[in-house]
Amino acid sequence: MNINKTVNATELTVALEGRLDTATAPALEAELNQSLAGITKLVLDFSALEYLSSAGLRVLLSAQKAMNKQGEMIVKNVNETISEIFEVTGFCDVLTIE
Amino acid sequence: MIKISHLRKEYPNATPLKDVNVEINRGDVISIIGPSGTGKSTLIRCINKLETPTSGEIWVDGNCITSKKCDINKVRQKMGMVFQSFNLFNHMNVIENIMAAPMDLLGKSKQQAYDDGMQLLRTVGLADKAFNYPDELSGGQKQRIAIARTLAMNPEIILFDEPTSALDPTMVGEVQAVIKELANKGLTMMIVTHEMRFAKEIANRVFYMDEGGIYEDGTPEQIFENPQKEKTARFIKRIKVFENLITSKDFDFIGFNTSLEEFGRRCGISQKAIYRMQSVFEELCVQIILPELSKDFALNVTAEYSQEDDSIAVQIKYSGKAFNPMDSDNILSLKLAQNAAQSIEYAPCNEEGFTNMLVVKIK
Repeated sequence: MNINKTVNATELTVALEGRLDTATAPALEAELNQSLAGITKLVLDFSALEYLSSAGLRVLLSAQKAMNKQGEMIVKNVNETISEIFEVTGFCDVLTIE
Repeated sequence: MIKISHLRKEYPNATPLKDVNVEINRGDVISIIGPSGTGKSTLIRCINKLETPTSGEIWVDGNCITSKKCDINKVRQKMGMVFQSFNLFNHMNVIENIMAAPMDLLGKSKQQAYDDGMQLLRTVGLADKAFNYPDELSGGQKQRIAIARTLAMNPEIILFDEPTSALDPTMVGEVQAVIKELANKGLTMMIVTHEMRFAKEIANRVFYMDEGGIYEDGTPEQIFENPQKEKTARFIKRIKVFENLITSKDFDFIGFNTSLEEFGRRCGISQKAIYRMQSVFEELCVQIILPELSKDFALNVTAEYSQEDDSIAVQIKYSGKAFNPMDSDNILSLKLAQNAAQSIEYAPCNEEGFTNMLVVKIK
Protein backbone atom coordinates (compact mmCIF):
# COMPACT_ATOMS: atom_id res chain seq x y z
CA MET A 1 0.00 0.00 0.00
CA ASN A 2 1.19 3.50 -0.79
CA ILE A 3 0.41 6.37 1.57
CA ASN A 4 0.56 9.85 0.03
CA LYS A 5 0.29 12.80 2.40
CA THR A 6 -0.47 16.40 1.52
CA VAL A 7 -0.54 19.08 4.22
CA ASN A 8 -2.25 22.41 3.69
CA ALA A 9 -1.97 24.50 6.87
CA THR A 10 -4.01 22.45 9.39
CA GLU A 11 -5.63 20.21 6.75
CA LEU A 12 -4.03 16.84 6.09
CA THR A 13 -4.99 14.75 3.09
CA VAL A 14 -3.93 11.11 3.11
CA ALA A 15 -4.42 9.24 -0.16
CA LEU A 16 -4.23 5.44 0.09
CA GLU A 17 -3.36 3.21 -2.81
CA GLY A 18 -3.69 -0.58 -2.80
CA ARG A 19 -4.70 -2.78 0.13
CA LEU A 20 -5.40 -1.73 3.69
CA ASP A 21 -5.22 -5.07 5.52
CA THR A 22 -3.47 -6.94 8.32
CA ALA A 23 -0.10 -6.42 6.63
CA THR A 24 -0.41 -2.71 5.85
CA ALA A 25 -2.69 -1.30 8.59
CA PRO A 26 0.18 -0.85 11.10
CA ALA A 27 2.00 1.45 8.64
CA LEU A 28 -1.04 3.70 8.28
CA GLU A 29 -1.55 3.72 12.03
CA ALA A 30 2.07 4.79 12.61
CA GLU A 31 1.85 7.42 9.88
CA LEU A 32 -1.30 8.97 11.35
CA ASN A 33 0.03 8.84 14.90
CA GLN A 34 2.94 11.07 13.98
CA SER A 35 1.03 13.39 11.63
CA LEU A 36 -2.13 14.38 13.45
CA ALA A 37 -0.67 16.93 15.88
CA GLY A 38 -2.18 20.35 15.10
CA ILE A 39 -4.41 19.00 12.32
CA THR A 40 -8.03 20.12 12.39
CA LYS A 41 -9.21 18.45 9.19
CA LEU A 42 -8.17 14.97 8.10
CA VAL A 43 -9.21 13.89 4.59
CA LEU A 44 -8.78 10.26 3.63
CA ASP A 45 -8.82 9.83 -0.11
CA PHE A 46 -9.80 6.25 -1.01
CA SER A 47 -9.96 6.65 -4.79
CA ALA A 48 -7.12 4.12 -5.26
CA LEU A 49 -7.94 1.87 -2.30
CA GLU A 50 -8.82 -1.61 -3.53
CA TYR A 51 -9.27 -3.75 -0.44
CA LEU A 52 -10.14 -3.03 3.17
CA SER A 53 -10.20 -5.48 6.08
CA SER A 54 -11.09 -5.28 9.76
CA ALA A 55 -7.47 -4.41 10.56
CA GLY A 56 -7.83 -1.29 8.39
CA LEU A 57 -11.23 -0.46 9.83
CA ARG A 58 -9.75 -0.43 13.33
CA VAL A 59 -7.16 2.16 12.26
CA LEU A 60 -9.90 4.28 10.71
CA LEU A 61 -11.89 4.05 13.93
CA SER A 62 -9.01 5.22 16.12
CA ALA A 63 -8.27 8.06 13.67
CA GLN A 64 -11.92 9.08 13.86
CA LYS A 65 -11.73 9.08 17.66
CA ALA A 66 -8.60 11.23 17.59
CA MET A 67 -10.10 13.70 15.14
CA ASN A 68 -13.35 13.93 17.13
CA LYS A 69 -11.22 15.65 19.80
CA GLN A 70 -9.40 18.06 17.51
CA GLY A 71 -11.54 18.66 14.44
CA GLU A 72 -13.10 16.55 11.72
CA MET A 73 -12.34 13.54 9.52
CA ILE A 74 -13.74 12.97 6.05
CA VAL A 75 -13.47 9.86 3.90
CA LYS A 76 -13.91 10.52 0.19
CA ASN A 77 -13.90 8.78 -3.18
CA VAL A 78 -15.05 5.43 -1.79
CA ASN A 79 -15.58 2.70 -4.38
CA GLU A 80 -18.42 0.18 -4.39
CA THR A 81 -16.49 -2.64 -2.69
CA ILE A 82 -15.29 -0.44 0.16
CA SER A 83 -18.68 1.21 0.47
CA GLU A 84 -20.27 -2.23 0.96
CA ILE A 85 -17.80 -2.89 3.78
CA PHE A 86 -18.69 0.39 5.50
CA GLU A 87 -22.35 -0.52 5.27
CA VAL A 88 -22.24 -4.09 6.61
CA THR A 89 -20.01 -3.07 9.51
CA GLY A 90 -22.04 0.03 10.42
CA PHE A 91 -18.99 2.26 9.78
CA CYS A 92 -21.12 4.38 7.47
CA ASP A 93 -22.84 5.69 10.62
CA VAL A 94 -19.56 6.47 12.37
CA LEU A 95 -17.52 7.98 9.56
CA THR A 96 -18.26 11.05 7.47
CA ILE A 97 -18.23 9.70 3.94
CA GLU A 98 -18.41 12.08 1.03
CA MET B 1 -8.12 -61.77 -20.83
CA ILE B 2 -5.61 -59.54 -19.06
CA LYS B 3 -4.93 -59.95 -15.38
CA ILE B 4 -2.67 -57.53 -13.53
CA SER B 5 -1.60 -58.15 -9.97
CA HIS B 6 0.53 -55.95 -7.74
CA LEU B 7 2.04 -54.14 -10.70
CA ARG B 8 4.63 -51.58 -9.69
CA LYS B 9 6.72 -49.34 -11.91
CA GLU B 10 9.43 -47.18 -10.42
CA TYR B 11 11.64 -44.63 -12.15
CA PRO B 12 14.62 -43.06 -10.42
CA ASN B 13 12.61 -39.94 -9.56
CA ALA B 14 9.00 -41.13 -9.57
CA THR B 15 6.76 -44.14 -8.99
CA PRO B 16 3.77 -43.71 -11.29
CA LEU B 17 2.39 -47.19 -10.53
CA LYS B 18 2.53 -48.37 -6.93
CA ASP B 19 0.15 -51.33 -6.78
CA VAL B 20 -2.18 -51.99 -9.69
CA ASN B 21 -4.58 -54.92 -9.48
CA VAL B 22 -7.20 -55.37 -12.16
CA GLU B 23 -8.80 -57.86 -14.55
CA ILE B 24 -9.77 -56.94 -18.07
CA ASN B 25 -12.34 -59.06 -19.82
CA ARG B 26 -12.51 -59.98 -23.48
CA GLY B 27 -14.42 -57.30 -25.36
CA ASP B 28 -13.92 -54.64 -22.69
CA VAL B 29 -13.44 -51.14 -24.05
CA ILE B 30 -11.70 -49.22 -21.31
CA SER B 31 -11.08 -45.50 -21.19
CA ILE B 32 -8.20 -44.54 -18.94
CA ILE B 33 -8.47 -41.02 -17.58
CA GLY B 34 -6.83 -39.00 -14.84
CA PRO B 35 -4.50 -36.08 -14.17
CA SER B 36 -1.08 -35.89 -15.86
CA GLY B 37 1.64 -38.01 -14.33
CA THR B 38 -0.66 -40.62 -12.80
CA GLY B 39 0.74 -43.54 -14.81
CA LYS B 40 -1.95 -43.90 -17.50
CA SER B 41 0.49 -44.34 -20.37
CA THR B 42 2.92 -46.25 -18.15
CA LEU B 43 0.17 -48.80 -17.44
CA ILE B 44 -0.54 -49.61 -21.07
CA ARG B 45 3.16 -49.54 -21.95
CA CYS B 46 3.73 -52.14 -19.20
CA ILE B 47 0.97 -54.32 -20.66
CA ASN B 48 2.89 -54.80 -23.92
CA LYS B 49 6.25 -54.53 -22.18
CA LEU B 50 7.43 -51.36 -23.82
CA GLU B 51 8.21 -50.67 -20.16
CA THR B 52 9.51 -53.38 -17.86
CA PRO B 53 7.56 -53.45 -14.61
CA THR B 54 9.59 -53.13 -11.41
CA SER B 55 7.51 -55.86 -9.78
CA GLY B 56 4.15 -57.61 -10.08
CA GLU B 57 2.61 -59.85 -12.70
CA ILE B 58 0.73 -59.30 -15.93
CA TRP B 59 -1.10 -62.22 -17.53
CA VAL B 60 -2.35 -61.98 -21.10
CA ASP B 61 -4.52 -64.88 -22.29
CA GLY B 62 -2.91 -67.22 -19.76
CA ASN B 63 0.67 -66.16 -20.52
CA CYS B 64 2.58 -64.46 -17.75
CA ILE B 65 4.30 -61.74 -19.79
CA THR B 66 6.34 -60.57 -16.82
CA SER B 67 8.00 -63.97 -16.60
CA LYS B 68 11.45 -64.24 -18.17
CA LYS B 69 10.39 -67.34 -20.10
CA CYS B 70 7.63 -65.51 -21.93
CA ASP B 71 8.02 -64.98 -25.68
CA ILE B 72 6.92 -61.35 -25.69
CA ASN B 73 6.93 -61.10 -29.49
CA LYS B 74 4.30 -63.82 -29.69
CA VAL B 75 2.15 -61.99 -27.13
CA ARG B 76 2.65 -58.69 -28.93
CA GLN B 77 1.20 -60.21 -32.12
CA LYS B 78 -2.13 -60.34 -30.33
CA MET B 79 -1.70 -56.84 -29.03
CA GLY B 80 -1.60 -53.72 -31.18
CA MET B 81 -0.50 -50.33 -30.00
CA VAL B 82 -1.42 -46.93 -31.40
CA PHE B 83 0.83 -44.08 -30.31
CA GLN B 84 0.25 -40.38 -29.90
CA SER B 85 2.90 -39.66 -32.53
CA PHE B 86 1.72 -42.21 -35.16
CA ASN B 87 5.19 -43.84 -35.58
CA LEU B 88 4.71 -44.58 -39.29
CA PHE B 89 7.73 -45.51 -41.42
CA ASN B 90 8.29 -42.34 -43.43
CA HIS B 91 10.37 -44.06 -46.13
CA MET B 92 7.48 -46.39 -47.00
CA ASN B 93 4.22 -45.43 -48.63
CA VAL B 94 0.94 -46.03 -46.86
CA ILE B 95 0.18 -49.53 -48.15
CA GLU B 96 3.78 -50.64 -47.57
CA ASN B 97 3.50 -49.45 -43.97
CA ILE B 98 0.46 -51.66 -43.57
CA MET B 99 1.84 -54.70 -45.45
CA ALA B 100 5.22 -54.92 -43.70
CA ALA B 101 4.30 -56.62 -40.44
CA PRO B 102 1.78 -59.17 -41.81
CA MET B 103 4.38 -60.31 -44.39
CA ASP B 104 7.29 -60.43 -41.92
CA LEU B 105 5.52 -61.78 -38.85
CA LEU B 106 2.38 -63.56 -40.05
CA GLY B 107 3.97 -64.95 -43.21
CA LYS B 108 1.32 -63.50 -45.50
CA SER B 109 2.03 -63.39 -49.22
CA LYS B 110 2.56 -59.98 -50.79
CA GLN B 111 -0.75 -60.21 -52.64
CA GLN B 112 -2.65 -61.29 -49.52
CA ALA B 113 -1.06 -58.53 -47.45
CA TYR B 114 -1.91 -56.01 -50.17
CA ASP B 115 -5.52 -57.14 -50.50
CA ASP B 116 -6.06 -57.17 -46.73
CA GLY B 117 -4.29 -53.84 -46.41
CA MET B 118 -6.51 -52.20 -49.02
CA GLN B 119 -9.57 -53.58 -47.23
CA LEU B 120 -8.34 -52.02 -43.99
CA LEU B 121 -7.66 -48.71 -45.72
CA ARG B 122 -11.26 -48.72 -46.92
CA THR B 123 -12.34 -49.35 -43.30
CA VAL B 124 -10.54 -46.20 -42.16
CA GLY B 125 -11.67 -44.28 -45.24
CA LEU B 126 -8.24 -43.80 -46.81
CA ALA B 127 -8.03 -46.28 -49.70
CA ASP B 128 -7.23 -43.41 -52.07
CA LYS B 129 -4.05 -42.61 -50.09
CA ALA B 130 -2.52 -46.09 -50.45
CA PHE B 131 0.43 -44.87 -52.53
CA ASN B 132 1.04 -41.61 -50.73
CA TYR B 133 3.89 -41.21 -48.28
CA PRO B 134 3.19 -40.31 -44.63
CA ASP B 135 4.62 -36.80 -45.11
CA GLU B 136 1.86 -36.09 -47.61
CA LEU B 137 -0.90 -36.79 -45.08
CA SER B 138 -2.54 -34.76 -42.36
CA GLY B 139 -2.17 -35.75 -38.71
CA GLY B 140 -5.65 -37.24 -38.61
CA GLN B 141 -4.96 -39.29 -41.75
CA LYS B 142 -1.62 -40.51 -40.37
CA GLN B 143 -3.31 -41.70 -37.21
CA ARG B 144 -6.01 -43.52 -39.19
CA ILE B 145 -3.21 -45.22 -41.19
CA ALA B 146 -1.48 -46.14 -37.92
CA ILE B 147 -4.73 -47.73 -36.73
CA ALA B 148 -5.09 -49.64 -40.03
CA ARG B 149 -1.51 -50.87 -39.67
CA THR B 150 -2.25 -52.11 -36.17
CA LEU B 151 -5.40 -53.89 -37.41
CA ALA B 152 -3.38 -55.62 -40.14
CA MET B 153 -1.93 -57.90 -37.45
CA ASN B 154 -5.42 -59.08 -36.45
CA PRO B 155 -4.85 -58.12 -32.82
CA GLU B 156 -7.20 -59.23 -30.08
CA ILE B 157 -6.26 -56.26 -27.95
CA ILE B 158 -5.46 -52.70 -29.02
CA LEU B 159 -3.81 -50.24 -26.70
CA PHE B 160 -4.22 -46.57 -27.59
CA ASP B 161 -1.85 -44.08 -25.98
CA GLU B 162 -3.51 -40.67 -26.30
CA PRO B 163 -4.38 -41.28 -29.95
CA THR B 164 -5.78 -37.81 -30.59
CA SER B 165 -3.67 -35.55 -28.42
CA ALA B 166 -1.15 -34.68 -31.15
CA LEU B 167 -3.89 -33.73 -33.60
CA ASP B 168 -5.45 -30.43 -34.60
CA PRO B 169 -8.91 -30.14 -33.03
CA THR B 170 -10.41 -30.38 -36.55
CA MET B 171 -8.96 -33.89 -36.99
CA VAL B 172 -9.85 -35.39 -33.65
CA GLY B 173 -13.34 -36.38 -34.77
CA GLU B 174 -12.25 -38.51 -37.76
CA VAL B 175 -9.84 -40.56 -35.62
CA GLN B 176 -12.38 -40.98 -32.82
CA ALA B 177 -14.96 -42.17 -35.35
CA VAL B 178 -12.58 -44.91 -36.54
CA ILE B 179 -11.85 -46.01 -32.96
CA LYS B 180 -15.59 -46.12 -32.18
CA GLU B 181 -16.13 -48.40 -35.16
CA LEU B 182 -13.54 -50.80 -33.75
CA ALA B 183 -15.22 -50.76 -30.33
CA ASN B 184 -18.43 -51.94 -32.00
CA LYS B 185 -16.59 -54.92 -33.51
CA GLY B 186 -15.86 -56.51 -30.15
CA LEU B 187 -12.11 -55.86 -29.96
CA THR B 188 -10.65 -55.48 -26.48
CA MET B 189 -9.33 -51.95 -26.22
CA MET B 190 -7.67 -49.73 -23.67
CA ILE B 191 -7.57 -46.05 -24.50
CA VAL B 192 -5.64 -43.40 -22.62
CA THR B 193 -7.36 -40.13 -23.38
CA HIS B 194 -7.91 -36.58 -22.18
CA GLU B 195 -11.09 -36.23 -24.24
CA MET B 196 -13.76 -36.78 -21.62
CA ARG B 197 -16.74 -36.94 -23.94
CA PHE B 198 -15.00 -39.54 -26.09
CA ALA B 199 -13.93 -41.50 -23.00
CA LYS B 200 -17.53 -41.59 -21.82
CA GLU B 201 -19.11 -42.47 -25.16
CA ILE B 202 -16.78 -45.22 -26.27
CA ALA B 203 -16.15 -47.25 -23.14
CA ASN B 204 -18.05 -49.86 -21.17
CA ARG B 205 -15.58 -49.32 -18.37
CA VAL B 206 -13.55 -46.33 -17.18
CA PHE B 207 -10.40 -46.36 -15.07
CA TYR B 208 -9.72 -43.14 -13.20
CA MET B 209 -6.04 -43.23 -12.30
CA ASP B 210 -4.54 -41.43 -9.33
CA GLU B 211 -2.40 -42.13 -6.25
CA GLY B 212 -0.28 -44.70 -8.06
CA GLY B 213 -3.05 -46.98 -9.24
CA ILE B 214 -6.58 -47.40 -10.56
CA TYR B 215 -8.26 -45.13 -8.04
CA GLU B 216 -11.76 -45.81 -9.30
CA ASP B 217 -12.99 -48.41 -11.80
CA GLY B 218 -16.56 -48.17 -12.96
CA THR B 219 -19.03 -47.80 -15.77
CA PRO B 220 -18.98 -44.49 -17.66
CA GLU B 221 -22.24 -43.58 -15.92
CA GLN B 222 -20.68 -44.15 -12.50
CA ILE B 223 -17.42 -42.36 -13.18
CA PHE B 224 -18.84 -39.38 -15.06
CA GLU B 225 -22.19 -38.90 -13.38
CA ASN B 226 -21.91 -40.45 -9.97
CA PRO B 227 -18.26 -40.90 -8.97
CA GLN B 228 -17.93 -42.68 -5.65
CA LYS B 229 -14.58 -41.27 -4.60
CA GLU B 230 -13.50 -37.73 -3.84
CA LYS B 231 -10.61 -37.32 -6.26
CA THR B 232 -12.61 -38.73 -9.16
CA ALA B 233 -15.44 -36.31 -8.44
CA ARG B 234 -12.98 -33.44 -8.25
CA PHE B 235 -11.38 -34.38 -11.57
CA ILE B 236 -14.70 -34.89 -13.35
CA LYS B 237 -16.11 -31.59 -12.16
CA ARG B 238 -12.83 -29.96 -13.21
CA ILE B 239 -12.44 -28.48 -9.82
CA LYS B 240 -9.36 -26.35 -9.45
CA VAL B 241 -7.78 -26.38 -6.06
CA PHE B 242 -5.62 -24.05 -4.00
CA GLU B 243 -4.03 -25.41 -0.85
CA ASN B 244 -1.76 -23.85 1.74
CA LEU B 245 -0.63 -25.06 5.16
CA ILE B 246 0.25 -22.51 7.84
CA THR B 247 2.28 -23.62 10.86
CA SER B 248 3.68 -20.31 12.14
CA LYS B 249 2.02 -17.08 13.24
CA ASP B 250 4.78 -15.29 11.32
CA PHE B 251 3.72 -16.89 8.04
CA ASP B 252 4.00 -14.94 4.79
CA PHE B 253 0.64 -13.13 4.76
CA ILE B 254 1.40 -11.14 1.61
CA GLY B 255 2.68 -14.22 -0.20
CA PHE B 256 -0.44 -16.14 0.82
CA ASN B 257 -2.75 -13.44 -0.51
CA THR B 258 -0.76 -13.17 -3.72
CA SER B 259 -1.03 -16.90 -4.40
CA LEU B 260 -4.74 -16.83 -3.60
CA GLU B 261 -5.12 -14.01 -6.10
CA GLU B 262 -3.13 -15.95 -8.73
CA PHE B 263 -5.33 -18.99 -8.12
CA GLY B 264 -8.41 -16.82 -8.66
CA ARG B 265 -7.01 -15.45 -11.90
CA ARG B 266 -6.16 -18.94 -13.18
CA CYS B 267 -9.77 -19.93 -12.54
CA GLY B 268 -10.99 -16.80 -14.33
CA ILE B 269 -13.10 -15.62 -11.39
CA SER B 270 -13.96 -11.95 -10.82
CA GLN B 271 -11.80 -9.55 -8.81
CA LYS B 272 -14.70 -9.15 -6.40
CA ALA B 273 -14.78 -12.90 -5.74
CA ILE B 274 -10.99 -12.88 -5.22
CA TYR B 275 -11.38 -10.12 -2.59
CA ARG B 276 -14.12 -12.15 -0.93
CA MET B 277 -11.86 -15.23 -0.67
CA GLN B 278 -9.13 -13.02 0.76
CA SER B 279 -11.56 -11.44 3.18
CA VAL B 280 -12.74 -14.84 4.44
CA PHE B 281 -9.14 -15.90 4.92
CA GLU B 282 -8.04 -12.71 6.63
CA GLU B 283 -11.02 -12.28 8.94
CA LEU B 284 -11.58 -15.92 9.92
CA CYS B 285 -8.05 -17.30 9.87
CA VAL B 286 -5.83 -14.34 10.67
CA GLN B 287 -8.09 -12.25 12.90
CA ILE B 288 -10.15 -14.92 14.68
CA ILE B 289 -8.58 -18.41 14.52
CA LEU B 290 -4.82 -17.71 14.68
CA PRO B 291 -4.96 -15.73 17.96
CA GLU B 292 -6.73 -18.73 19.55
CA LEU B 293 -4.07 -21.26 18.55
CA SER B 294 -1.16 -22.21 20.79
CA LYS B 295 2.48 -22.24 19.63
CA ASP B 296 2.55 -25.56 17.78
CA PHE B 297 -0.37 -25.57 15.42
CA ALA B 298 -1.46 -26.42 11.91
CA LEU B 299 -3.95 -24.47 9.87
CA ASN B 300 -4.76 -25.67 6.39
CA VAL B 301 -6.64 -23.59 3.84
CA THR B 302 -8.08 -25.19 0.71
CA ALA B 303 -10.01 -23.25 -1.90
CA GLU B 304 -11.89 -25.15 -4.59
CA TYR B 305 -13.31 -23.59 -7.69
CA SER B 306 -15.89 -25.60 -9.61
CA GLN B 307 -16.22 -24.70 -13.25
CA GLU B 308 -19.45 -26.63 -13.41
CA ASP B 309 -21.46 -24.24 -11.24
CA ASP B 310 -18.96 -21.37 -11.02
CA SER B 311 -18.77 -21.68 -7.24
CA ILE B 312 -15.92 -21.31 -4.75
CA ALA B 313 -15.71 -23.23 -1.48
CA VAL B 314 -13.04 -22.55 1.13
CA GLN B 315 -12.22 -25.24 3.66
CA ILE B 316 -10.27 -24.26 6.77
CA LYS B 317 -8.92 -27.02 9.04
CA TYR B 318 -7.02 -26.30 12.23
CA SER B 319 -5.61 -27.95 15.32
CA GLY B 320 -6.14 -27.12 18.98
CA LYS B 321 -9.15 -27.21 21.26
CA ALA B 322 -12.64 -27.23 19.81
CA PHE B 323 -13.32 -23.67 18.70
CA ASN B 324 -16.12 -22.39 16.51
CA PRO B 325 -15.10 -18.98 15.13
CA MET B 326 -18.76 -18.03 14.89
CA ASP B 327 -18.73 -17.86 18.71
CA SER B 328 -15.92 -15.30 18.64
CA ASP B 329 -16.47 -11.86 20.18
CA ASN B 330 -14.62 -10.29 17.27
CA ILE B 331 -17.87 -9.00 15.78
CA LEU B 332 -16.18 -6.79 13.22
CA SER B 333 -14.26 -9.65 11.60
CA LEU B 334 -17.29 -11.92 11.74
CA LYS B 335 -19.42 -9.32 9.95
CA LEU B 336 -16.84 -8.98 7.19
CA ALA B 337 -16.48 -12.75 6.79
CA GLN B 338 -20.25 -13.17 6.69
CA ASN B 339 -20.47 -10.41 4.11
CA ALA B 340 -18.10 -12.35 1.84
CA ALA B 341 -19.73 -15.72 2.43
CA GLN B 342 -22.91 -17.38 1.35
CA SER B 343 -22.62 -19.83 4.23
CA ILE B 344 -20.15 -20.69 6.98
CA GLU B 345 -20.40 -24.11 8.59
CA TYR B 346 -18.34 -25.37 11.50
CA ALA B 347 -17.79 -29.04 12.41
CA PRO B 348 -15.27 -31.00 14.48
CA CYS B 349 -12.63 -32.68 12.32
CA ASN B 350 -11.18 -36.17 12.79
CA GLU B 351 -8.37 -35.96 10.25
CA GLU B 352 -4.85 -36.48 11.48
CA GLY B 353 -3.44 -33.23 12.85
CA PHE B 354 -6.73 -31.33 12.73
CA THR B 355 -9.58 -31.03 15.21
CA ASN B 356 -11.72 -28.25 13.73
CA MET B 357 -13.11 -27.60 10.28
CA LEU B 358 -14.93 -24.72 8.65
CA VAL B 359 -16.52 -24.88 5.23
CA VAL B 360 -17.21 -21.49 3.71
CA LYS B 361 -19.10 -21.01 0.48
CA ILE B 362 -18.06 -17.74 -1.12
CA LYS B 363 -20.81 -15.41 -2.37
